Formats: sequence, structure tokens, C-alpha cells
Amino acid sequence: MDLRRKLFLQKNPYDLQKTGDLFLEAVKNDVVFHAENCPEYAQILKSLGFSIDEIDSEDMLYKIPVIPTLYYKRNYLCSLSEKKLAVKATSSGTKGAQSKVGFDKKTLFYGICMMIRYFSYHKLLSLLPTNYIVLGYEPSTHTQMGAIKTAYGTTKFAPALHREYALKDTGTGYELNIEGIKKALLRYAKSGLPVRFVGFPSYMFFLLKTLKENHISLKLNSHSIVLLGGGWKQFSDEEIDRDFVFELIYDTLGIEKRNCHEFFSAVEHPLPYVKCKNGHFHVPIYSRVIIRDIKTLEPVPVGSLGLLSFVSPLVSSMPLTSVVTDDLAVLYDGYDCGCGINTPYFELKGRAGVSQIKTCTTDALDLAQGGS
Amino acid sequence: MNLISGKLMNEKESRAELERLKSLILEAREKAPLPVSSVINACDTLSRALDEREHLPLLLNLGMPEYKARKDLQMIKHMMSKEYLENRLNIELGTPSREFSPYGDTLSVRQKWMPLGVLLHIAAGNVDALPFFSVIEGLLTGNINILKLPGNDDGLSIRLLQELIKIEPLIAQYVFVFDYPSQDIESMEKMMSAADAIVVWGGDEAVSAVRGMANPNTRIIEWGHKISFAYISGDVSDSDLEGIAYNICDTNQVFCNSCQGLFIDTDSFNEVLMFSERFLRILERMADELPNKNNTYLTAQKTLELYTEKLESVKHRKRVFSSNNCSVIAYDDTALAPSYMFRNCWVRPLPRERLLAALSDYKNHLHTVALVCAEQDKKVIETILTKTGVVRVTSGARMSKGYCGMPHDGEFSLRRYMKLMSYEY
Repeated sequence: MDLRRKLFLQKNPYDLQKTGDLFLEAVKNDVVFHAENCPEYAQILKSLGFSIDEIDSEDMLYKIPVIPTLYYKRNYLCSLSEKKLAVKATSSGTKGAQSKVGFDKKTLFYGICMMIRYFSYHKLLSLLPTNYIVLGYEPSTHTQMGAIKTAYGTTKFAPALHREYALKDTGTGYELNIEGIKKALLRYAKSGLPVRFVGFPSYMFFLLKTLKENHISLKLNSHSIVLLGGGWKQFSDEEIDRDFVFELIYDTLGIEKRNCHEFFSAVEHPLPYVKCKNGHFHVPIYSRVIIRDIKTLEPVPVGSLGLLSFVSPLVSSMPLTSVVTDDLAVLYDGYDCGCGINTPYFELKGRAGVSQIKTCTTDALDLAQGGS
Repeated sequence: MNLISGKLMNEKESRAELERLKSLILEAREKAPLPVSSVINACDTLSRALDEREHLPLLLNLGMPEYKARKDLQMIKHMMSKEYLENRLNIELGTPSREFSPYGDTLSVRQKWMPLGVLLHIAAGNVDALPFFSVIEGLLTGNINILKLPGNDDGLSIRLLQELIKIEPLIAQYVFVFDYPSQDIESMEKMMSAADAIVVWGGDEAVSAVRGMANPNTRIIEWGHKISFAYISGDVSDSDLEGIAYNICDTNQVFCNSCQGLFIDTDSFNEVLMFSERFLRILERMADELPNKNNTYLTAQKTLELYTEKLESVKHRKRVFSSNNCSVIAYDDTALAPSYMFRNCWVRPLPRERLLAALSDYKNHLHTVALVCAEQDKKVIETILTKTGVVRVTSGARMSKGYCGMPHDGEFSLRRYMKLMSYEY
């Protein structure tokens, strides 16, 4: 039997003790499967002298060659043929390269089971008919951005009556739909049904500011929820003050802070992480988090800053078993969190790179245009 | 902060001034023009007043290592001195005014370089104090200057302009500094409509945005992003290569005249590999000599980039040679690409016969080439390089160094800020 079935259908998404051995075996199977079905991946393992026998305990998971998200942005790795893919998605990089990923039916099935378990644990599933404000892109035929699919996916956790998008599909591109959102919100408020806001924090902040400037103050249904995921940077590159946003949400929409949730996910690691009531991303049974040294990529001790990397056996269509993101983070022991979940949790500490690199050398994109 | 008519202003006050910008400018233009000598004298006084005790901390605060801050401060002093500026004007403009009778005519003609009028400088934040120097060029040419500060401005330019105005209060009416974001289209349009020419610094994106927004009756003077590299032919000594390593470490490869990588005059990837290994040792020594404190975020990014290259080299013809503080990546293609910067360069094969074909697609993006070759080959390779569109050929060590009267991206910048008036009777 596929060990993933047992793992991703577990009831309690945080029972690490019970599922430790299962997780380890599922990961090992996953690595072996990819090595057998993706020649480039097998070559990478070989070039780094990796042997699956090294992975005899959870502590050794870091030895599985880790692949940076940048690699997926520039190279397409697959372990199943294109026709076996049920969905394709790309990362939301604004400039330059984007990751292209594809998922097969089985991966998708386990993923959906996991999401249902996970979101019901976090009490984010609801049977009440709900109106949605999606603070992101409307799904379209001309783009496959992962963020769109995530946002759209999360509108299925309560039956959707209507969805209004901040960025509306014009057929060939997108346009900002602030007026439409404002009108929809007023209509939603009048109907008295719960409203859910899903998407990027920067868009939520922009919407809240617009409502405030227009002196709009609503009292939405008490089952209304805000789900925010993505960077907390404004368009001007300044960090948004979270508490200020939650205050604004309460002032303009009447949604309390306990009903505002933050989630984390990545196209190259399509698993959900929702913050607990104390604001922590706990590690669920579906993955392990390894924080890696910024120079050597070796694991660093708990409490130290490094690059956020994940191990998970979810995906069979692509070797996404061990990936390192460009997020910097710190991992903490979970016992002292106090929220009731005692698995380790990570805290995001910004992105690798420089936000505004001071340079006047031509960038690759300009050169590519010049050279084409 | 905003600086208008010599006064520091908050956003609200400056917005009121922006509303009446055209009348403020008209007021200044109706008076007697600002004499170039007053500008030069003010710059000279400022240059003498710049001292390490007061001004070095300003540069250190920008995160510069001390040796670099000292060097930059000396350079600013030098470039602002009276002798330097007079020499520069002389080289760039030649005789400022001449009278003659044209061939085949009996007319009396007087030609004279005159200011364009009002310049809007849309500055980039890539070089510290760049907005200040852009305005100085505007003042030296007698223009009124509106300056839109870059988004990540460090405050140095406003500080220097304030000091300059303190020395020569006449300059106050010639400088309007606004610290608004580029996304503030309405304000940008107001500034643009007050200007005769827009001086835009930045990448293709910034340049295209300005081209799209400016009125056809407004001249656009573009200082776009450029790319520079080294060309190595034949047997070369370590000391020649040290100059290139010096440029890479001294500038961290962030300037348009910084070396991004080295093309080798060969067809053989093996030769490229051997050269890369050799150059890494030279680069490593130089990086040790000129230590650089990269922050965590930058270090993490460089680690991921190099590691990705290593993983890719499993299936592509390339190899990463890296040490603790720098790297050299050998590729088997002829693409001219930016490096990962911060002491991470590339090496690629490009035989001289293919140089012109390989580079001419990058027109208008090419800048400086450090040419390292045998004396007898210099002329031949120089000729090919000149045809590709590069604007400067020099040694490795000189790549990011200037001299008095050096053309900027192949042009005399002062001339671009002026018009050649003809008076004939």
C-alpha cells in the first residue's frame, strides 16, 4: 500500500510521535521513486554521492540532497509524464523566472485529504454559505500561477455563493478591481451571510485603507474570516505592521483578530501552514522543517537563523521531497508555545537577497530582450 | 525630505510648492542667470570643507567599509575642486563661444553653448550621492534643476545640496528636490511638464516608463544600465589579472563599469576551465585583501545561487569554482550575462573571430571592456570591440575609475544638458 495514504489521511495533523516511522518510510519511498523515474534527479543524487541507506532516522533527513526553489525556476524536473498531470501551476515571481510544477491525480487526492484534515483541525471548514473576496487574481485560461490556485482552492472550504476578485481577468491580463470589491462588500454586508477574505496581505492592506478613506465601516457576520498568505511588504517595499492591519480589519469590517488567519505555502512545497492562536507555524505530520546554514546549507541548531527547507513525501509527479526556499527562518521547540499543539514551529525572518540592490549593471531580463 | 528654494520641507509643504512650481521657475529665470563661476566657486568651497571628521561618518553610515569611504571622500573632494571643474568644462564644451563668418557667406555668426533651461533629474539610488552629482552637472550648465529622489535615497544628496546652497545662496532658486515615489504619477507629470528635458537614470524599465509618460515636446536624456566585462587573449600575467580581480572586489560588481565576467579568446572549454581555476586563486587573494561584510540575506542568496549552479552543472556544460568569499563559474557558451555580483564572476570562451557577431545584439547595453592581451594584438581587438558598441576600453584596474573629461556612456554629459545657440546678423 502507498504509505502516503496512511500518512495524509491521519486524523490529527500534529501527532508526530504516532506517525514518525510512517513519515520516514514514506519519504524514503518517495526519494527512491523519483530516483527511478527522473534521470536528472538520479544524476544529482549520484553527483553528491547520496545513498538512501544513509537515511536511517529522522535526524538524517537533512542528508537527502536539497534542491533550491531557484533550481525549479530554471529547470523542470518530473517523475511522471506530462499526460499524467492533472494540474499545472507556476510560482508568482513578478520578474524573470517562475517555477513550473505539475501534480498527478494521486498527489492531488492526498493533498485534498490533507487540506480537509488540516483545515478542519484549524476550524476553517464551514458549511455555511459564504461570500468571498479574493485578494488576488481571478482564475483564467491565460495563466497558471500557483497563488491563484491556492486562493481559489481556499474558497472551497466553505460553500461559495459569490467570489469577487481584486484583480479581474480582462481576457488578456488583469486590472485592479477596487470599485467592484467595494460594491460587492456592501452587498455582502447587506445579505448578512459570512464573508471570507483570502489572499495577499498587501492587497488586504490596500483594500482596508481604501475603505477607511471612504469612511466605510461594516459589521460583517461573526462567522466571517480573513485568510492571508504571502509577503507582508507594501508596494513601496515597507513592512506592513500586522497589529495595525488587524485593528483596521476590526474597525472597517468588524472581524475580530481571532478570526484572522495567516497561512504559508509555496509552489515548490504545496503544503498548508496556518498560524496557531499564538502566531506560530507549527510543523504538521506531513513534513519536517530543517533550517540550514546560510553558507554551508548544513542544519543549524534550534533557535538559529537560516534558510527554511522542507522534507515531505506528498508529491509523486516531481522530486519535491527535499526543497530549500529563499525564506530565512528560525525553528523553535513547540512545547513552550501554549496553544495546545506541541510540534516545533518556525518563524519567517524575511527573504534571501537584497530588497533593492544598488546596481546600474544591466539586468538579465533587459539583456535577454536586447539579445533576442 | 524635500528641499525647495533652499528650505527643507515636509511632504505637505512641498506639495504646495509643487503646485506653483512653474511660477517659481519663471521667477528664477526672469532674473540674471546664475554665473557658472559662482557654481564652480561654491563647489570648490564645499570641496575644501569636506573633511574626514565630519563627513566620513556619513559614508560609513551607508554601510561602506572604511577604506572605501576614505577613497570616495577624496574622490568627491577632487571632482568638486575648481581646477577639476574648469578643466572638465574646457574639455567637454571646448571654446564656450565663437564668432565667425560661415563658408560662402558674409554673415557674422556667434555660436554659444547655452543651458536647455529646466532639467528634471529622475535619479537612481545605485551610486551613493549620484542624485547630487546629476544636479551639479545641471548647475554647471546653467540649468534649473528639479530632482526626483530615488525610492531608497540615503539623504546624502540633500545634505550636500544644502551645504552648497549655504555657501552660495544664489543656487537656492535653481534647485527643487522632491522625495516622492515614482508611483505618484500625478506629481511626476507635474514635474515633467515643468521641465525642458528629463534626465533619467535607471534600467530599461525606468527608461521605458519615462518614455511613456513624457510629452513629445520634452527631451529625454537617458543614462541607462550598462554591462562591462574583460577580454583575455593569449598568455597573460597574474598581475594583469589582478587588476580585474581588484575591480570585481572593489566595486562588488554593482556598477555599469564593473567587470561581470571574463571572455577568453579561445574555442576550448578546457582552456576556460583551467583559466577559471587560476583566476579563482587570484580573486580569492584580492577578496581577502579587500574584505567585505555581506549581510545574512545577501550571503544566503549567493549560497543558493551558487548551489543551484552546482546542481545544474550535473547536466549542463559548466563548472563552479568557489572559495569562502568568492567564486568563478565556467560556462561553455558565449552569452553576455550579468554575474551574481558580490565577487562572483563568470568565464566564457569567445574567440575574437566571433566577438562582433556575439556582442552586437547587446547594442546600447555595452559599456567598458578591460582588454588584457599582447601588445601586438591590442589594435586588432580594440577595432573589433569598438564595432560591437562598447564605449570604453581600458585595463582591469581602471575599469571603474574615471578621469577629468572622461565621456559618460560615450558622450559628454554637459553637452547633452545644453543647446548650441546660433546668433546671426
